[in-house]
Amino acid sequence: MGSSSKRKKEKKKDFQKPKLRVGKAKPTAANATNTSFKAKSIALKQQSLSANAPTIEAQCAHHLALLTHKSDSQRRESLAYLTTAITSNPPGLPLPQPVSVVLPTVQRLILDGSNAVRQQLLKLLQSLPKDGIASYSDQLLLHTRAGLTHLATDIRVFALDVLEWLLGVAGDEVVSCAGGWAKMLKCFLSLLGWQNETSGTWSAPKSFGKSGGDAKVQVKQMTALASFLKAGLCTSQTPAQVNTSGGDFPLWHTEHHLLPGRSNVYAHLNLFGAARDEEAEMYEDREDRQRVFHTRAETAIVAGLEQSVKGGGELGRASAQLRKVIKEGMADYHGEDTAIQ
Amino acid sequence: MAKRKVGALEKVEADLPNLRNRIKRDPPSYRDDFLAQFLQWESLRELFLQNPSTGDDAGLVSLRDLIEFISHTADCYPSVTAKFPGDLQHILQAHHEDLDPELREKIVGSLVLLRNKDVIDSPTLLNTLFPILVSTPSKALRTLLFTKILSDLRSSNAKSTNHKLNSTIQTVLYNLVTSERDSSKGLWAVKLTRELWKKQIWTNAKAVEIMKEASLAENEKVIVGGVRFFLGSDQEREEAADDSSDDNAIDMSKLKHQAGINKKTKKKDRQLRQATATVKRKERKKGAPLPLNFSALHLLHDPQGYAETLFSKHVQNSKSKISLASKLLVLNLVSRLVGLHKLTVISLYTYFLKYLNPRQASVTSFLACLAQATHNLVPPDVLEPLIVKISNEFVSEASASEVAAAGLNAIREICARQPLAMNDTLLQDLVMYRKSKDKGVMMAARGLLSLYREVGADLLKKRDRGKNAAMGLRSGEQTERRYGEEDVGGVQGIELLEKWKEEERAKKREALGLPPDADLGDEDEEDDADNWKNWEVESDEDSDSSGGWIDVEADGDAINISDSDDDDETNPPSKKPKLASATPTPAPTSQSQSVDPEAQRISKLLTSTILTPADLKQLKALQEASSITATLPSHRRAQLLAARHADEPITADSIEAPAKLGHKSTREEKIAMAKADRETGHQSTTAMRKEKKASEGKSTTNKEKARAKNFLMTLGKAKGKQKRSLSEVRKTMRGHVERSKRGGKRGNRG
Repeated sequence: MGSSSKRKKEKKKDFQKPKLRVGKAKPTAANATNTSFKAKSIALKQQSLSANAPTIEAQCAHHLALLTHKSDSQRRESLAYLTTAITSNPPGLPLPQPVSVVLPTVQRLILDGSNAVRQQLLKLLQSLPKDGIASYSDQLLLHTRAGLTHLATDIRVFALDVLEWLLGVAGDEVVSCAGGWAKMLKCFLSLLGWQNETSGTWSAPKSFGKSGGDAKVQVKQMTALASFLKAGLCTSQTPAQVNTSGGDFPLWHTEHHLLPGRSNVYAHLNLFGAARDEEAEMYEDREDRQRVFHTRAETAIVAGLEQSVKGGGELGRASAQLRKVIKEGMADYHGEDTAIQ
Repeated sequence: MAKRKVGALEKVEADLPNLRNRIKRDPPSYRDDFLAQFLQWESLRELFLQNPSTGDDAGLVSLRDLIEFISHTADCYPSVTAKFPGDLQHILQAHHEDLDPELREKIVGSLVLLRNKDVIDSPTLLNTLFPILVSTPSKALRTLLFTKILSDLRSSNAKSTNHKLNSTIQTVLYNLVTSERDSSKGLWAVKLTRELWKKQIWTNAKAVEIMKEASLAENEKVIVGGVRFFLGSDQEREEAADDSSDDNAIDMSKLKHQAGINKKTKKKDRQLRQATATVKRKERKKGAPLPLNFSALHLLHDPQGYAETLFSKHVQNSKSKISLASKLLVLNLVSRLVGLHKLTVISLYTYFLKYLNPRQASVTSFLACLAQATHNLVPPDVLEPLIVKISNEFVSEASASEVAAAGLNAIREICARQPLAMNDTLLQDLVMYRKSKDKGVMMAARGLLSLYREVGADLLKKRDRGKNAAMGLRSGEQTERRYGEEDVGGVQGIELLEKWKEEERAKKREALGLPPDADLGDEDEEDDADNWKNWEVESDEDSDSSGGWIDVEADGDAINISDSDDDDETNPPSKKPKLASATPTPAPTSQSQSVDPEAQRISKLLTSTILTPADLKQLKALQEASSITATLPSHRRAQLLAARHADEPITADSIEAPAKLGHKSTREEKIAMAKADRETGHQSTTAMRKEKKASEGKSTTNKEKARAKNFLMTLGKAKGKQKRSLSEVRKTMRGHVERSKRGGKRGNRG
């Protein structure tokens, strides 16, 4: 048959020897590998060839760089490494990497998607020395606020933790930095669902991304708001009495002529930045903050509190706490108000 | 305790697209969620502005997604998002150089989206995008911006021309071109204008003005862009118009068929309706008269000044640094302008003198330019040295045949436009080359000869003049045209039409029983009325106005253009054409007498009536019928020459063409030429049908399948067939007959 003879031919073809001829190039085998390749660079599997162990500073720098790694566990481990490096640092000696380097790289992770990373981040933040943080509070607050408005509930809750820590470390700076007061109030209002402008008599619709009736979260939000208001409205410590009596006689008003204790004293003048609106303004005075609170948030918060106090339970307790703080903080403001009238 | 029910909404987290979808359906309900996201955007924006060059991959929701989300929903909450477009613009303007590419792209896209949602208006968008287009170093961004700007301009001109926007943008482009003449930024103005011109969105003089300024710039790229626009844009525009009509044609019958078969949904219904609307619109467009668009060269203000500046600035100026190729382009444009508008730039011709030698690079282009720059108002004494130079340098026994052919052809092209530039000795010398052995040279020389047989036979030797020319010279029919002399206006073959009309009228009169050549009183009127009935294009106003015209003529004492002639001379009108053909005996002495009949000849039909389309058709038919001579080769050549429009350029190819005649083509070229007009890949009808089916994703016929079936699979059935009993065979046969009657297994009935 035709097909079988054809097949026979095909079979034969496999075993035919290629003819070699003098002066001609040898025919390449069918399974020959083409080895003529070019490479612009050679990647080594081993990343470092140095034999002696790197210093702890270098390792910290390396781990800081690894914080942008795509793997969750790698990020968490790097954070953990940094945490142990900082905690195990003997007191008195400078940190392996200064706070000014660590904080700007670390703060982005407030918005990290993985819960483990975020928890580890909180540990790291808590391990940092408290005095160095104040000057980075505005940056941290920005990230925290971004976290508070995040679409994911986990991140929102975590941002509350960060805020608590931040208020504990640098409460004054937080409430007085640019946008720190008015914007945070607005943010809290929208978080708790207490709206300033009532959009009608309709019952408030359940929010989209939130696990709505979760009382625990709300309690947490309220306690955070309470501590925030406490930091902003209440005078926690009376400023040290200025020694007006001429102790050092020839000098008067010495404290005004000394170098300021904090950095960027004239920040409120906003000499070089973009123009700020009312929300982004810095409110350094307690009276200012009281005024802003009164005009922007008080009615909404009071109305919201009324609802939640009635609820009782843990939520009721938290709201009672919050109400107490507000009463305390706004006590003298109302007094002033009446005094003016 | 029972498990708490989890609502569908609560499951979804960090899902902006989902939220977007919900917001679009019911904006007031999701206002809180939107506000939260907007707050998030504001805080992220602040973070971002602290350090714009960072990537934005922090967190679950990136800035990019947020921007997309907000720009999609911004129109639902206009009061909240009032500042959003401004923020985006600010980010883009301030940081476009160090932004993450993807984020940058997203911001541009969002701005365009906001424009499409009418949140911002076109000028705002274009004013944001255009400065970045001009200044950004990133090629990808430039491409993106260019397409976006273009599409926005197109869409805002889609329904009706947006004059305000167009003039704003044109002013911006004009300023861009004129403000920094030596930067390459003007190239964007050129590109944009060219593209919009091609799409017939911009067709006015201002766009041409932009290109004019571009061609007068200092930067070579900009110059070339501007010049190329003038040289090629109109052709490009026509081609684009042709293309656009062909592409994405909708097959209406197919769609209707599908709509009948497929599941009926609202969406499909809507799609079908849209398709019908588009098809209708297209058809209406097809029926509409073509938009009359002037060519860019005709829209120029002050072409004389422009040509002079172009020439002195880029070509003649020894300090201009542009390369020879670009210089040639500019020269081409200048000569094109000179030829088209009949400008006078005397220094242009002397400039050519330097470049007319065979060793000059791309000399044929120079020759073509020279020919293009020649017109009948160029003084012959300016051209004469050029022709002498060409003949000295190119046309000699010693030079190569291609060179000689090119030279002769160039001379021919020049002389075709200004025949007076030639003197008899030179012409007689050049004509001698028709005896050359090289085919190219021979043909070129013959071309020159046949040209002069028509335009200036007296310069030729007597034996070269040919029969027609010699007879024409003797009868005085053919005379040399003088410098600056123009054709007297008229319609070719009008006398034929006139004659035909007279004959028709006479026939009609005979049919009515009247004498064929009586006085024409209301007859004219009647005739005209008939004409207007024959008017092919329906138009009521025209016929009204024509009635008015006729009235005037009938009353006409004041107007005695045609009627007075008839009355005075009392010639039967049928003799008119004869008279007309006899009149041109323009011997200088009889000129004063011949003026009068000349005027009559022109005035009769052209001044008293308007030619209807029916008339014109008849005129064409008469011309074709009468011109037996037109089929003669010499006449055909003349017709070809006449058919070539004055607007069309001469290229280097046309100068080189005769040289190619002598050239022997290689075997490959011959094969390629033979194959060129034949279709490749011949297929049988069946094969074509099969391929079509396969491409449509349809299956083959059962017959085909049976044929392709494996032999072994059919074997069993075939064997079984042989063992059947007679009754079984009968049964199958009956079944077969039955089936074929019914029309297949499924049948036609039921």
